[in-house]
Order: sequence, then structure tokens, then C-alpha cells
Amino acid sequence: MIGLTLLVAAAALPAGPLDFKARDMRIEPQEHRVVLQGDVQLSRGDLKVTGQHAVAEYGKDQPATAQKPRGRGQSTLPEKAVLGGQTVQRFTVRGNVHVQRGSRTADGEQGVVDVPGQTLVLTGTPEAPPVVRDGSELLSGERILLRLDSEDVDVIRPKLVLKRSLAEDGQTKPTPVRVEADHLLLLQVKRLARFTDDVVVRRGDAVVRSPRMEARYDPDGQLTRLELRGGVDVRQGERRATGETADYDAQARTLVLLGDPKLYDQGDVLSGDRIDLGLDSKEVRVERARGRLRPEVHKGERGAP
Amino acid sequence: MGSQSVRAVLVVLVPALAWGCGNSANPPVSSISIPDVPDLSLQGVAFARLSEGQVVARGTAARLDYRRGGGRLVASGATAVVQPTPGSSLAALGTLRFVAQDAKGEVPNRRGSASGGVRFDAARGDTAVTERVEYDGDVLRGNAPVAAHGPGYRVNGNGLFARVDGSAIQLTSGVEGQLQMEGPR
Repeated sequence: MIGLTLLVAAAALPAGPLDFKARDMRIEPQEHRVVLQGDVQLSRGDLKVTGQHAVAEYGKDQPATAQKPRGRGQSTLPEKAVLGGQTVQRFTVRGNVHVQRGSRTADGEQGVVDVPGQTLVLTGTPEAPPVVRDGSELLSGERILLRLDSEDVDVIRPKLVLKRSLAEDGQTKPTPVRVEADHLLLLQVKRLARFTDDVVVRRGDAVVRSPRMEARYDPDGQLTRLELRGGVDVRQGERRATGETADYDAQARTLVLLGDPKLYDQGDVLSGDRIDLGLDSKEVRVERARGRLRPEVHKGERGAP
Repeated sequence: MGSQSVRAVLVVLVPALAWGCGNSANPPVSSISIPDVPDLSLQGVAFARLSEGQVVARGTAARLDYRRGGGRLVASGATAVVQPTPGSSLAALGTLRFVAQDAKGEVPNRRGSASGGVRFDAARGDTAVTERVEYDGDVLRGNAPVAAHGPGYRVNGNGLFARVDGSAIQLTSGVEGQLQMEGPR
């Protein structure tokens, strides 16, 4: 999802008319707003938003220009000036909100478009959180902010499956990489996804925790690297590893721990300059290793004499 | 409108008036009577409605027929201008102007209809055009296509529903149009 997201460039949502369809429209001049009800469809350029109910709020800091009633035959929508200088600043769409822009779609219970701010914030319910899809890829979270002037996405408490991180060899069944965090920022230009606060990465039986992580992508949208910083804790089965930083190479499927890395494995404690963990092979390499081994703990294991 | 008021000469058709007054006292029963003949026919009519010494509505009609039975009015080339009460829901729209080619009404029942290029204009810049609306009590309804536009919107609908106090102004039965958006910061 992130990969595709980063590939598709988007232009800012420009000023101008937004097309709409609905069952009914209520005009509320005193409240400076228009209410659309029943199968609402809104579209502007490549952005399409549908829902059951929508409120378009006009700016109140621009007083309406009193106009003389116009004569018959002048009912076509003219330019902004003729509209009295009043423009919609905010849309709130509720009820099965569906957003489509390019190859990306998003769904939620409520969507709020801040037109001057060029953002669309999707929220949902605990049972049905908002989601963003790009092809088969899926991102959900507590709150999803889509920027309308770029492809950047800001997610509160994201839940994400990095399917495209897998270098499929045709033999091995893909192992999805699941990521959770308090916050996710997808940055198009830098081709990276920045996760912060309580980042948890799950891949098979491996669980990696860290305060922050950046996922980097190649121009084709394939994950190339995960960079975890600020203290990393890796657990895989009985094995645990820690370090100040960890880099995951998506191609090699290895995790490299640096910064006083340590490996704990059933009583064995190893430290070194660098620890490489093979997540599939479960092979461990420790550079300049030093530590304490407790062979007696392993005497009952398979292969033990 | 002001000039119309100034030249608001009520061209009263004296014979009709006399006929109407006579009928009101003692309606004739005659085999040759024409029951639908108006009791009063006026041409070049101007009217004003006062409330607490203020003109709250005024209008004109090219022709106005009045039948006292049922208090029925039939007007052609009708125009009305309404000044919304300050603070009311309609006040935000400013002065309202209604135009219709034909209008009919039953004054005691507060019921009527307007047809033939019915047009609403508001000083704020709102305009709505439809072929026919009906008025019943405090509600205006229409089932004909409506085209409306105003500050920041343009819309086509297939029906109209409005309360005369402005607490509801709705286009119904399928609407389609455009809303003007603010530009990016």
C-alpha cells in the first residue's frame, strides 16, 4: 500500500466547483451551510467521496456580497466573483463514507475535508476503523489523515500489513509483516513511512518493539529496509535480542542489531559489536562476540550428546 | 418596483365592480348567468401588506380577478417583494422577490399555486426557477424541476419544499449541482 501510495503523485485540490449529487439538498443561509442528504456523491478532479449525509460549510469571514436579483437566462454557474465570494471551507460526510483518488480508496464512518488545509480526515468506530486500500494492500488506524495536495498520509494508531515487503520466491508462502504504532506518517517524496511511539513489528513468530521506525521503499514501491531506532527489543521463540538500533534488510530478510547489541537465548547471553538475525533461517551471527554460555541448560535438547 | 408603485393606478373596471357588489348582496339565479365570471377584475394592480406600520410585502399584477365565493384570486404577470423579518431564518437572504406568470389562490384557506416561470430571487444572490409551486398554509411545495443558484452553489432538483418562515429550504427528489470551494492556503 505504501509502495503504491508513494508512486502516485497527486496535485493539490484546486479552488473551483465541486460537483455533487444527492437525494435532497437543504440550504441553511443563516448557518452558512448546505446540507446534502441521501446517497451523496461529491467529486472534484480525481477525488470522489460518497456517503449518506454531507454538510458543506461556507466561510463566515467573507460576508456575502449583496447582489441584485439577476434576470432570467443567467442561471449558469459563473466564476467565484459572481458567486458572491462565498466558498466552501469544510465538508463533513457521514455514513459509509467512501473515498477514491487514483488507485487509492479509503472507507470510514465520517470524513472531514478541510479545503484550505487540503486534508481529509477519516474516522470510524472501534468495531469498524477507517481503512485505506491500494490494490490489495490495506492500512487501518484510529484516524487517517489524507493530504489532498500530496500523497502523504498521517495515521493515528496504525495497523498495517506490509505485504509488499516480501521477496517472493515462488516456493515459500509469503510471511506478512504487520506493524502497529501510535502514529504513522507516510512521506511520498522521501519514499518512507515513519512510525513513532510504541512501534510493534510482527513477522511470523518474531516480534520487534521500538520507539520509532522508518520503512524505506524503492521507486517500484517495494520495501527495502526497516530502520528501528531508540532501543530495540526482538523476540523470536525463546530467543531475545536487544540493541540501540536495528536495520531489517527486506531482500536478505535479516535484522542487524547495533549499539551494544545483546542476544539472550535460554540462559546464554552474547554481546558483540553487531548481531545479525536471520528471521527465516533463525541463524545468528555475532561479531566480536563475548558472553556467557550455559551448556548445561541445553543438554536435553535435540542434537545434544 | 418603486416606479410601479408610483404609477399604481388601479384601473378598476367600474362595470365589473358594480356587478360584483350587486352580486354579493343578492346573487342572481339565472339560466344565462356565467358562474365563473369574476366579481372583480383589476388591471395594473399594485398592493402592499402592512404589519405594525411597516410594509412587509408589496407586489404588482398585470391582471387580477377576484371571486368572492371562496375568496379566490387569479392573477397574471404577478410580482411580489417580501422584506423578511429581521432575525428570522429568511433574513440572511435579504429582500425576496417572487415572479410568476400565473397565480391562483384562496385567501381564506391560505392556499394557492403559481405557475409559468416561477422565479424567486434573494438580495443575497440566490435565485430559483421552476414551473409550478403550490402554497398551503406555511409550506411551499413543487414537484417540477427546479434550477437554483446562489453564493457558492448551483443546483438542479426535481422538487421543492420550503417553509415560508425560511426554517426549511429544500430541493428534493434528486439534486445535482456544484459547490464552490475555497482554494488551498
